[in-house]
Amino acid sequence: MELKLNKFTKRFGDTTVIKDMDLTVASGEMLALLGPSGCGKSTTLFAICGIHKMSGGTLHFGERDVTTVPAQQRSVGVVFQNYALYPHMTVEQNIGFPLKVQKLSKSVIKAEVARLAELVQIGDLLNRRPAQLSGGQQQRVALARAMIRKPDVLLLDEPLANLDAKLRLEMRSEIRRIQRETGITAILVTHDQVEAMSMCDRIALMKEGKIVQLDKPENMYANPGTQFVAGFLGNPPISFLPATAGETLSLGGNQTLARPSTLDAQGDIVIGIRPEHFGPQHGTGLEGEVIFVEPQGREDLIDVRLDNGGAICAILPSGEPVKLGQRVNWGVASERILAFANDGSRL
Amino acid sequence: MNTNSRIWHLVVILAIFSAPLLIMYVFQVMDSFTERRPDSLWPGELDLSNWRFLWEKIDSGRPSIWVVTFNTFVFATTTAVAVTSLSTMAGYALSRLNMPGRPYFLGGLIMLHAFPTITLIIAIFIILQFLGLFDSLLGIIFVKAALELPFGIWIMKGFYDTVPWEIEMAGVQDGASRVRVWWELVLPQVKPGLAALLIISFLSGWSEFVLPLVLAPGSSTQVLATYMNAVIQDDATADFGLFKAIGMFYSIPVIVIYLLFQKQLMNIYGGGTKG
Amino acid sequence: MTSRFLGITFLSPALVSVILFFLLPVLLTVVFAFTNMSTSTGIMGGDYRIIKDQLRSLPDAGVSNESIEQLETAGFQITETGLAALARNFSADTAEELGRNYMGETFTARRDLERVLRGLDDPIRKTRDRKAAADLFAVTIMGERYDSEASFRTALASTGIDTADHDALVNVAYTGWTWTTDNFRLLLELPSTLRYAMNTAFYVVCTLLFNITFGLFLAISTFYLPAKLANTFRAVWFLPRILPPVLYVLMWSWFTWDNGFIATVTGWFGVPPQNWMMQTSTHAWTVVVLINGFVGASLGMILFSSAIKAIPTSMLYASEVDGANRWQQVRFIILPQMRWPILFMTSYQTLSLLTSFEYILLATDGGPGRGTEVWALAAYHTALNNYGGNLQYGLGAAYALVLVVIGIALSALYLRFFNFKELLIKPRIEQ
Ligand SMILES: Nc1ncnc2c1ncn2[C@@H]1O[C@H](COP(=O)(O)OP(=O)(O)OP(=O)(O)O)[C@@H](O)[C@H]1O
Ligand SMILES: [Mg+2]
Repeated sequence: MELKLNKFTKRFGDTTVIKDMDLTVASGEMLALLGPSGCGKSTTLFAICGIHKMSGGTLHFGERDVTTVPAQQRSVGVVFQNYALYPHMTVEQNIGFPLKVQKLSKSVIKAEVARLAELVQIGDLLNRRPAQLSGGQQQRVALARAMIRKPDVLLLDEPLANLDAKLRLEMRSEIRRIQRETGITAILVTHDQVEAMSMCDRIALMKEGKIVQLDKPENMYANPGTQFVAGFLGNPPISFLPATAGETLSLGGNQTLARPSTLDAQGDIVIGIRPEHFGPQHGTGLEGEVIFVEPQGREDLIDVRLDNGGAICAILPSGEPVKLGQRVNWGVASERILAFANDGSRL
Repeated sequence: MNTNSRIWHLVVILAIFSAPLLIMYVFQVMDSFTERRPDSLWPGELDLSNWRFLWEKIDSGRPSIWVVTFNTFVFATTTAVAVTSLSTMAGYALSRLNMPGRPYFLGGLIMLHAFPTITLIIAIFIILQFLGLFDSLLGIIFVKAALELPFGIWIMKGFYDTVPWEIEMAGVQDGASRVRVWWELVLPQVKPGLAALLIISFLSGWSEFVLPLVLAPGSSTQVLATYMNAVIQDDATADFGLFKAIGMFYSIPVIVIYLLFQKQLMNIYGGGTKG
Repeated sequence: MTSRFLGITFLSPALVSVILFFLLPVLLTVVFAFTNMSTSTGIMGGDYRIIKDQLRSLPDAGVSNESIEQLETAGFQITETGLAALARNFSADTAEELGRNYMGETFTARRDLERVLRGLDDPIRKTRDRKAAADLFAVTIMGERYDSEASFRTALASTGIDTADHDALVNVAYTGWTWTTDNFRLLLELPSTLRYAMNTAFYVVCTLLFNITFGLFLAISTFYLPAKLANTFRAVWFLPRILPPVLYVLMWSWFTWDNGFIATVTGWFGVPPQNWMMQTSTHAWTVVVLINGFVGASLGMILFSSAIKAIPTSMLYASEVDGANRWQQVRFIILPQMRWPILFMTSYQTLSLLTSFEYILLATDGGPGRGTEVWALAAYHTALNNYGGNLQYGLGAAYALVLVVIGIALSALYLRFFNFKELLIKPRIEQ
């Protein structure tokens, strides 16, 4: 079911947290709401599920206007960050609760619970209580409870934040699998860009209550609309350097780079270079000293202080003989340089 | 070694200070069961005549102990149930429900919680006379329950505040009304609070003395506190054996509850008055 | 919408009882303090009558001597209405005969009329009946009850008393309560007022000091004891908090009275038995402070113990590593952390000690003499229990009003302990 927010505004007292946000999520799509802490992700989510009232704007599920419909009648499934399982009920009762509220018969509920338990693969845990489950298992129960009503929309508020690294990886693909299998429209709230990029069809990147870019993950990475987007996506992060655009890009201290062919700005700008676009494989061009080496197993992260004072990060396959304090002269894939005006907009 | 001996000093000092209480406890129990010579502290023979109030009237015109016990029980349980149920509802409203004037209700609650209710007893005395509830169990039940309410609401609000919001949000999202969420999802989380409040307000009702004394002085509405006080007042010979036996009988429920729930009670009294 | 409605619904039973038993009593305490309500005036309003005892005070009320004379001497007169009543209640013949012979005649004393009634041809024989029959002809209003002002005035008019005196007589005759500020004047004039205030101050300060120092001592010393021992002592001290006050005070009475523990032990050394509680005011104060102090100290112990437990153990370990001894640890680590609990305990206990009188009532009942009578107990004695039997609700309410005002002021102060901003946080589900 398509979800459409139109000019959504949210105020708490006098402070406006979100102003005139437009957002459309296509039917069957999984969209990530990504952004730094406090940017209004949860607020948006609470407005969609009806826990918060909207201060302005409209919300449609398909053709249905649900702007003022109470949460109970919205048909939205939510998975909360701490799962919010009912501690006094068994797994079976937890998953079945939404149907019990609808006064369905015991046998129907039992069958549905079994179906959902199958889907999230917890069929053998039905008689346990939440306290007797691991984090990942609780997560699955929460997912099953959110899905059992066959909701129009599934909302996930940082569902992986409380899991350890390995489980997080596992649940990432699980949630994606379940979303694909059921074809449900889903919104995932997260501040982890890897999660957003690996799980979702599109990402809405938010900053201070506004969506700054809405795009497919790979587009957003390769083609960020602003310096903020470029800086937010990518790990290790992109390196920004001030530059003067003329014949070439002059970085000061007689370090220069070739202009990307698409750039037609002149004067003071900021350039962004992703780690994978800097290194010995790209020839030579920037001279500096290695100030930090962080082995990550398959790759090494290397921080280089340029002779003009700027710092830049490279990522190299591990085993490259790079040592702390070593002087290097590495090149940049100049066509991949991202250029920004001083106000952060993309050039 | 050094710390040990210092701990012994501490124990001795504490023991000296605690001695009056310990002596009182020991003789409270002992004297109710034995006949002691007046000038001796050594227990005499086992003697159950102090407990005669259980099977006969100790003097004419006094109601039977069983009627009095029944009154006390009714008084304590009804107030406890009333306080607990009203606090359970009001505490939830104040903790969780979005309603007009909520900050003022909360501020008022804090003030009432601290306000010394006993100063109102003269006015309440006259109100009860107006309402025709003077000298009736019903009257003191109303008054006691009302006076205990701020404390109860405060305690319950504290318990509700610890229930994660997400549980309620999940319930609302699962399609349950707020009442249902409260009854089916939140209430089970605050069961310990309910039990604690029930116990505390029962104990408080069971021990209550001034309200029945002033507001229900008649002999048909006597409770154990006023009964025992009347026996002590009317007896010129200071028959402590009898008084202590009545006291033992009176405090049985208190002691039982104390032995069962000592830890929890200390926690509540420690945290409860702290607000 | 629904949540508002639900909130009000959930709150309203509590709200009703709070209004009925908190707000209304506060208001009424103010109202009653400005009345002369007492047992003799009743609380429902009164009726109108003048009795013999009041005659002497009438000149002070401005009633002329002539009118008083009239009130006193007006007696019995044979009238048509009286005769009709006589015919109805006794016999028509008697009434007819009386009317025929004595119509219009007056008698100052009932005895004279009774003699006439006995002397008739058709006499009334029984003494009791004669009395009743004579009363049918009474024209005086002395001793008569009238339930409204209007009927009293009509009766006054029928006696022919000078109308100038009517208003004064109505005032005197009214038996119900009236508005007055006398209570406060009395409070200011009575020497006992100052005495009770001093008693209260003494009592609160002493008990508070005992509670706090002793509570701290208990909390800190049990903190250093091995768990088992500490729990035993805590249990011993916690019990007085939940024991019924009547029993708790009884144990103290046994401990201190002349056939109790102290008297028995001192008796072995030849000290004659005496009441260690009521002997002198000093004795009484000591016992009263101890009784309240032991209960208060146990509250202090619980509060302070949990505050000590909240001190991070790393802080205590660190101080031990620094070579601090136990005393220094207490002085420099624990006590500074106790500032808020002590402040809280002080304000909370001040309020409850100022206003509660249960333990004193049970122990000394304000005695010996009025030695341990505190303000709250004085209010109780004045309005709810005294030996004279005339309970002065109005004056008692004036006493109580002082406490109510202090109570409101202090509990408003108590509100300051709380972060009021926190109260303004909105519930997170906006329904
Ligand atoms: N009830 C409220 N009253 C006032 N301000 C609020 C309230 N709830 C949220 N805010 C403010 O709105 C902004 C957005 O909050 P929100 O919870 O949506 O952030 P978020 O993006 O979910 O952050 P996080 O990643 O930390 O969860 C924050 O600045 C927050 O302080
Ligand atoms: Mg959030």
